[in-house]
Amino acid sequence: MKRKAYYLILSLIVVSIALLFVGSVWLSPGETVKSPILWQIRLPRVLLSALVGVMLATSGVMLQGILKNPLADPYILGVSSGAGVGAAIAIAANYSFVFLGMSSVPLFAFVFALIMVLTVYNLSKAADRTTPETLILAGVAVSAFASAVLALIIIMSGQLQSIYFWLLGSFSAAGYRDVFTVLPYAVVGLLIAYFYSKELNALLLGEEIAYTLGVEVERIRVIMIVAATLMTAAAVSVSGLIGFVGLIVPHFVRMIIGPNYRSLVVFSALSGALLMMIADAVARTALSPVELPVGIVMSLIGAPFFIWVLRTRRGG
Amino acid sequence: MTALGVSGLVCGYGEKTILQGISFEIKLGEFVGIVGANGCGKTTLLRALSGIIKIKSGEISVYGKNLKELSRRDIAREVALVPQLMEPVEGITVLDLVLLGRTPYLERFDFVNQDDVDIAKWAIGEVGIEEIADKKLSELSGGEFQRAVIARALAQEPHLMLLDEPISHLDIRYQMKILKILRKLRYQRTIVSTFHDLNMASRFCQRLILMKKGEIVAFGRPDEVLTKENIWKAYRVKAEVRKNPKTKHARMVLLP
Repeated sequence: MKRKAYYLILSLIVVSIALLFVGSVWLSPGETVKSPILWQIRLPRVLLSALVGVMLATSGVMLQGILKNPLADPYILGVSSGAGVGAAIAIAANYSFVFLGMSSVPLFAFVFALIMVLTVYNLSKAADRTTPETLILAGVAVSAFASAVLALIIIMSGQLQSIYFWLLGSFSAAGYRDVFTVLPYAVVGLLIAYFYSKELNALLLGEEIAYTLGVEVERIRVIMIVAATLMTAAAVSVSGLIGFVGLIVPHFVRMIIGPNYRSLVVFSALSGALLMMIADAVARTALSPVELPVGIVMSLIGAPFFIWVLRTRRGG
Repeated sequence: MTALGVSGLVCGYGEKTILQGISFEIKLGEFVGIVGANGCGKTTLLRALSGIIKIKSGEISVYGKNLKELSRRDIAREVALVPQLMEPVEGITVLDLVLLGRTPYLERFDFVNQDDVDIAKWAIGEVGIEEIADKKLSELSGGEFQRAVIARALAQEPHLMLLDEPISHLDIRYQMKILKILRKLRYQRTIVSTFHDLNMASRFCQRLILMKKGEIVAFGRPDEVLTKENIWKAYRVKAEVRKNPKTKHARMVLLP
């Protein structure tokens, strides 16, 4: 297990350095190191994509853990679209203030994401437990509603292109400011996931047994939902809507290293960073000089994977 | 010494009251069986004893400690529950499962250490499944899985171990095996288990609690509890009680 972690960290470092030399402008390594393109454009971009990958993957792990549902992820639960609505309102209304250390866009994104996830969670409660089916149905229904609200905001604001392109997910405007904005969310969120991994492990045995093992199930659920929502909202506020990372990364990692949350959290965070950096590299070079929104790249990979998950679940 | 004291216990779900004022006392080292018809409140009683459901009135004390005054974690160090149905978690081994029993002993920034592994291995040894400790749960037979689940509860080092129908889905060979393990385990702790099979309960338990509609019909030695009259009262079934010719345990025979 340790060795696997080292390999993953090593590949993370190698890939992130390699990606600094990839971009729409081709420069030789010697030129690149001296160029402001590397330090002012590519480095913050690589860092930001890695952090967003960490946050989305970790939220996915948390939500899957407390809901005991491999299909739970911030996108499907509507957290992302809720955050999108919040952020769009803040952008369209041109609000700009700072509240408790949060600037208006992430704050709006967070509040709306929280409203969204609580709505979906409550709607999906059939009797006293959520099932994969009711959760997805509730998520789809509420997300559809949020998309409509979003469309309305876009049309009324008259900023169609800027908001829409932002919603598709992109790191094209990444700067150090964004990196430092999301860094605390990523670090705190990851630490919470790591130190609550015992509780998530106990929850593998079902809520009732977790309870008899001394886990305060309700409290853990609230902590996880709030932490996951915060991280997702932070990610959405700097990169727009990027789906499927929170779904496919933990799922894939679980298939390889098993369901122990302590390693699952760490490996998912690292793999999320890796996947996001690579997806962003594809986004900025595949149709160069035109840049693709990274959200589109992720969905092109993620949607087929999601279908595959549904099929294997039915089979197994 | 009283290991488990229950007095005037009333509890249920929402508005519905299931247990209507139950009182009994169990001594250290006893293996007590709870029997009764479906829906009589056996499982509810176990859920109340393990603190899963809140009690409406009455008191439960485990080794002199009032359950109400203990935190979730403290209860988990006193009482362990083996539920009736547990889905085998995919991808984890027997040892992983048993280690989860150490959860109530871990502090916020702790993870399992060598002590916890040693205790888990001891628990695995107690139920006799050392040779499959590294097997995946999904590869186990029903009897092996049930023993792994019991080892998980043992790793909690509980004073009181509760089991909900631990043998009802096993073949007779494993039924005997599990009951023999429980009979051996009772010496350092107290065991309370629900049963459907009256003859098995009679043979292995020191005392039986016979329940009907949330109340106790009879509580005592198996031969005192399993009488024609009591069985009729609790199950509405005509039966005759004989003695097992070899072991001398009370044995029920159904009449047409």
